Amino acid sequence: MKRLIAAAAVTATAVMGSATLAAALTVGVSWSNFQEERWKTDEAAIKGALAAAGAKYVSADAQSSSAKQLSDVESLIAQGVDAIIILAQDAQAIGPAVQAAADEGIPVIGYDRLIEDPRAFYLTFDNVEVGRMQARAVLAAAPKGNYVMIKGSGQDPNADFLRGGQQEVLQAAIDKGDIKIVGEAYTDGWLPANAQRNMEQILTANDNKVDAVVASNDGTAGGVVAALAAQGMDGIPVSGQDGDHAALNRVAKGTQTVSVWKDARVLGKNAGEIAVALAKGGKMSDIKGAKLWTSPKGTKIWSKFLAPVPITKDNLSVVVDAGWITKADLCQGVTNGPAPCN
Amino acid sequence: MTSAPGALMDPPLVEMRNISVSFGGIKAVDDVSIDLYPGEVVGLLGHNGAGKTTLIKVLSGAYQRDAGQIFINGEEAHIANPRDARGYNIETIYQTLALADNLDAASNLFLGRELVTSFGLVDDSAMEAETRKIMARLNPNFEKFANPVSALSGGQRQSVAIARAVYFNARILIMDEPTAALGPHETQMVAELISQLKSEGIGIFLISHDIHDVMQLCDRASVMKNGHLVGSVRIEHVSDDDLLSMIILGKPPAGPARS
Amino acid sequence: MSDSISHPIPAQSRKNIFRTLELDTRLLGMIGAFIILALAFNMVTDGRFLTPRNIFNLTIQTVSVAIMATGMVFVIVTRNIDLSVGSLLATCSAVMAMVQTWILPDLLGLGLNNPLTAPITIVAGLATGTLIGAFQGWLVGYMLIPSFIVTLGGLLVWRNVAWYLTNGQTIGPLDRNFLVFGGTNGTFGATLSWGIGVIAVGLALYGLWAARRGKLAHGFQVKPLWAEVVMAAITTGAILGFVGILNAYDIPVRRLARLFKARGEVMPDGFTSAYGLPVSVLVLILVAIAMTIVAKRSRFGRYIFATGGNPDAAELAGINTRFLTVKVFALMGALAALSAVVASARLTNHTNDIGTLDELRVIAAAVIGGTALSGGFGTIHGAILGALIMQSLQSGMAMVGVDAPLQNIVVGAVLVLAVLIDIIYRRKTGARL
Repeated sequence: MKRLIAAAAVTATAVMGSATLAAALTVGVSWSNFQEERWKTDEAAIKGALAAAGAKYVSADAQSSSAKQLSDVESLIAQGVDAIIILAQDAQAIGPAVQAAADEGIPVIGYDRLIEDPRAFYLTFDNVEVGRMQARAVLAAAPKGNYVMIKGSGQDPNADFLRGGQQEVLQAAIDKGDIKIVGEAYTDGWLPANAQRNMEQILTANDNKVDAVVASNDGTAGGVVAALAAQGMDGIPVSGQDGDHAALNRVAKGTQTVSVWKDARVLGKNAGEIAVALAKGGKMSDIKGAKLWTSPKGTKIWSKFLAPVPITKDNLSVVVDAGWITKADLCQGVTNGPAPCN
Repeated sequence: MTSAPGALMDPPLVEMRNISVSFGGIKAVDDVSIDLYPGEVVGLLGHNGAGKTTLIKVLSGAYQRDAGQIFINGEEAHIANPRDARGYNIETIYQTLALADNLDAASNLFLGRELVTSFGLVDDSAMEAETRKIMARLNPNFEKFANPVSALSGGQRQSVAIARAVYFNARILIMDEPTAALGPHETQMVAELISQLKSEGIGIFLISHDIHDVMQLCDRASVMKNGHLVGSVRIEHVSDDDLLSMIILGKPPAGPARS
Repeated sequence: MSDSISHPIPAQSRKNIFRTLELDTRLLGMIGAFIILALAFNMVTDGRFLTPRNIFNLTIQTVSVAIMATGMVFVIVTRNIDLSVGSLLATCSAVMAMVQTWILPDLLGLGLNNPLTAPITIVAGLATGTLIGAFQGWLVGYMLIPSFIVTLGGLLVWRNVAWYLTNGQTIGPLDRNFLVFGGTNGTFGATLSWGIGVIAVGLALYGLWAARRGKLAHGFQVKPLWAEVVMAAITTGAILGFVGILNAYDIPVRRLARLFKARGEVMPDGFTSAYGLPVSVLVLILVAIAMTIVAKRSRFGRYIFATGGNPDAAELAGINTRFLTVKVFALMGALAALSAVVASARLTNHTNDIGTLDELRVIAAAVIGGTALSGGFGTIHGAILGALIMQSLQSGMAMVGVDAPLQNIVVGAVLVLAVLIDIIYRRKTGARL
């Protein structure tokens, strides 16, 4: 009996202890630019995961400046966080920040964007696969013709991952001569305004003889569609990613072919859970689904890749059923549309 | 144009011969010649825009002449900038006083000619000491040595400008409307100062639009109109009205008044 | 040095103490505001704001803007403005990054981390900044193009020149000796820091004594001896206190272990070492001292203030105001290059966005520090304090968790408020310096 009580007492203390331990945990998030619409969804998911684990959330917004991001991480460390999630503004310049965290023994998670540092756990959607999915959907809609590649930011390694995946899928058709790439441009800062401008230049340079555009995300796709609409060319196949509400609406209307949806809520939830696990002293190799991946520069990094979902007119119900977008928002201004808008 | 009686042998302190200055297409000063002897005050009169300030700025180095020559003590002088002018011991007290409002009296006095320590640093203490000495002579009630000159009254600012000219041993002094902004007491002080400087053999060009002041302070006067020299006269030989008609009508007086 | 006799003798003793100590009330106001700000943030963050670590971070984060702010004081005093300093920083950073990672190793065979690399790189950067600055100064002074336009053009031109130099790439890693200027990578450690502090105290005390001796030599009124002692005590306390705080920040154990491992040694148990004074902060202090001497005691500085107060008077006094403008902008360019060294060393990389929007921070720092945009007024120590106040405001708000947009709103409002207070103060005291 005494042993039972003692065991119960020990267990109770252990449970309370770990709960208290989790309750005492603080996780800091360093955003590169919180002003972009997308990250609010990620933040909500991270907060949810942290709240479930009883941990506190603090954040900082670098407002697109690598120098400020370094100061932000220093500030988070000074606030006594137990783990840091970093959405890096510049994959290379984030080095000193990771260094500072590692010196204090604080685990770092590279969120969505690669940080070339084995001390940062890389959590992202498989961006090469995203690129492949984008190219596949556009190729199916336009198997032959002139293609334009509107890429992401030159400073973001993701942009090249996407481009690489797109190239894999298009390579065969290019070799056969079915497809010719007539224009290709990075989009500074992933800004739609820059994408629109670049698209306009390419259309002018090619006398509007363009049959399909592989855009790397929904923001740039929006800029592309605006440039096409100005020339009366909207409706040609255009790709994107992120599942922005405006983009899904375009898919329903037929002006965008595919938006590869990476449920940011899944990414955020994973990030929160991994942060808590590492903060409690867990090892990167113990994380469920983690594997040792070699980056293009040859760095071996522990990573977890989540699977994206390509959303075309054929499976729009997926995003509605998942609660990502309401039917009203999806079908706004859509006449004779695909399910679930009809 | 002609010399004062009894001084034919000595060259004038300053002789400006056939000076012309143009701005764009307009001749501000057209072939004007004036001169100045030691110990005398020559007034420069004329309407606004007559060219008197422009002419005198040629002497002080602020403007460049397009034609003509300047002689100092009989030798040709080359004055390309204010520094050159000061090198010839020409000091100017401008109508606007040319003081830097944000600096104190000592800094203004020594502006461009600062006293330096052996390290090459500005020696504020030495400059202030020297300023105190000279201001004691000119304006014994002056106390605000630490304030920027913007905090001084019009008369006090005037005394700083005058002190600057006097300190550096001017032989030729140019005063542009020195009494324009002064009250009667301060005007009297300026008059006394001018007498004192005359007695030291300094030659003074006095620009003024106030005929009364010119009649009181000057020995000779030159009148300009529209860039031309109307004439130079001896004050003892003319009346207020004579000067007025020279200024307004541009009519030189007849007879012995000419000098 | 007393006011004119016509004023009644003031009865308030408070005024007399400040005047006896000859302390500028405006400076005191700024220091007071800074202290209140620091204490307020400290309270709201449960004492984390005023830890040695955060103070250390704060000083490092302020350096690059503060260095440029001292140069901006001269620019603004001469009634000009320089909107291009952030872009200029980027170009100098790009040039230095290219020199140390490509030109020296590949073209001249000097490897990265060669002892000559860092000095040559820094000289190249300073030369770039000075030349570009002089060019802009020439456009303003001789070609008579308004400085707002010249430097607005510069803002656009130089950032994109930097982009072309580096092809838009982030460049790194940088030379090991160069990185010493970055902050945590280069500190003096406890002993040397104390040494530097003692030397600084010695110099400060000598300065106070020399000033007193100079005044006595000319028979001027000096502060009573007790006032001199108080000033000496305050100065000594401030210097040694500052060094003490920096020495209280210990280097994290893992970092020490890494440093030992890099040297091939084993770290003894329980070994601790303090960071001490960062090299970049020492650079800022030396720049501040040099610029203050230039401003107050050199002819160049005197002519700058004269030109700002009354450009015509300066010209008539024989000052070559056009060449002065060239020199002022060239100096600003050199300081921007120096800031580029610190900023890129801190990031251990050159990035495209380095120095973005710095011109606004630098101008705000100078203006908050009391430099009047109308020209003729400004102090070096004010600009540095202004930079410190702005950085503290921003860091403090970030620590409290204020939204980024709100942070920017607050900083903008503080800027306008600070200038308003300055204008009211000037009106009340009759523009006393």
